[in-house]
Amino acid sequence: MRKSQGEEKLELAISYVLILGVLVSVAIETFGIVSYYFSNGNLDILFQPNFAMRGTNFFSYTAKLTQQLSEGVLTPMQWLGLGIVLLMITPYLRVVASVVYFGLAKNPKYLFITLFVLIVLTASLLKH
Amino acid sequence: MFAVLVISILAGFLGALTGLGGGSIMIPILVAFEVPLKYAIAASMVTIIATSSGSAASYVRERLTNVKAAFYLEMFTIIGAIIGATITSFIQPRFLYFFFAAFLLTSFLGLSGHLSKEVPARMKQDRFSKWLELKGSYYDEAAKREINYKIKNALLGGPGMIVAGLAAGMLGIGAGAFKVSIHELILKMPSKVSSTTSNFIIGITALAGASVYFASGLLFLGLAAPMAVGTTIGALVGGRILNHLPNRMVRYLFLVVVLALIVQMLYKGITSP
Repeated sequence: MRKSQGEEKLELAISYVLILGVLVSVAIETFGIVSYYFSNGNLDILFQPNFAMRGTNFFSYTAKLTQQLSEGVLTPMQWLGLGIVLLMITPYLRVVASVVYFGLAKNPKYLFITLFVLIVLTASLLKH
Repeated sequence: MFAVLVISILAGFLGALTGLGGGSIMIPILVAFEVPLKYAIAASMVTIIATSSGSAASYVRERLTNVKAAFYLEMFTIIGAIIGATITSFIQPRFLYFFFAAFLLTSFLGLSGHLSKEVPARMKQDRFSKWLELKGSYYDEAAKREINYKIKNALLGGPGMIVAGLAAGMLGIGAGAFKVSIHELILKMPSKVSSTTSNFIIGITALAGASVYFASGLLFLGLAAPMAVGTTIGALVGGRILNHLPNRMVRYLFLVVVLALIVQMLYKGITSP
């Protein structure tokens, strides 16, 4: 009744995706909070629309932040945004990994199940 | 943000100790500090992804989580979470306080009647669960042996998980205790598999809820970021200490904390305009 070797590989891959995603995003958020303090002199939380995560949809918001990251022009607020984006992408990536795995393993049942989860999440993240 | 960071460390710590999870503790405290309830719920939803994924990583590697069962049950929780978060985006906050208090009450009462045995007795697996290949094995450190198990009633578990997802998405919490009850009572999972699988599902359920809050513009960075950092740190410390505390103390702590949170949410609900 032991799991197949392939399944153990999938579990290992999932485990790496999850831990790496959380560590990197917490590190980025910590950096964002510190740099926010140094540029504003305080750590006040403001509930104004421009302090909320905003974009046409999640993916375009992510693309915009990534582009600004490559140009090296992120504000402290955008660093915080990047950290949260990474956090949200982490479980999403583990679903993608599972879809790929079950596709390669030719397991139609679980390919369908994981693909269903992926499609619903993608649709919900695309919504505005 | 500093205050939020400190409170989150405490909430993450207490959440890990009591098994309530960070969200159920964090939201009532934030609300006490005049943070609007919907903003607290949205930020908590994102925070949960961090605590769930962090601990899921090690459980999966220890082969405690039943990944296939998680994939199957996720289909239902994400639908529930999307519906729940959509309701929260439109509903009057006043109702949410009462829902929150009611939900806390179920976990309060849930503890008095303890759940199923560690490893359920062997029973015949139904055809649908068998078709889904829902079985597994793990090495139990306490029993010092390999435990083989089969999961049952997968068909019934689905609708139960929609309800769990609905509560999670609506209130910005993991609803872990609720999921665990379904896993153990309906699906007949061994308790270690049950809680680790629930934790694994919570991450994706939270993402489904968070996606809705992103679209409704309720996700505030200044709130979510320190919460995610704080709860992760708090949960790490709490998880380490848990094994060194006597069970009775943990149970009393749980009851006191939940009772205080219920009172707080009811008070807010009654006094809110």
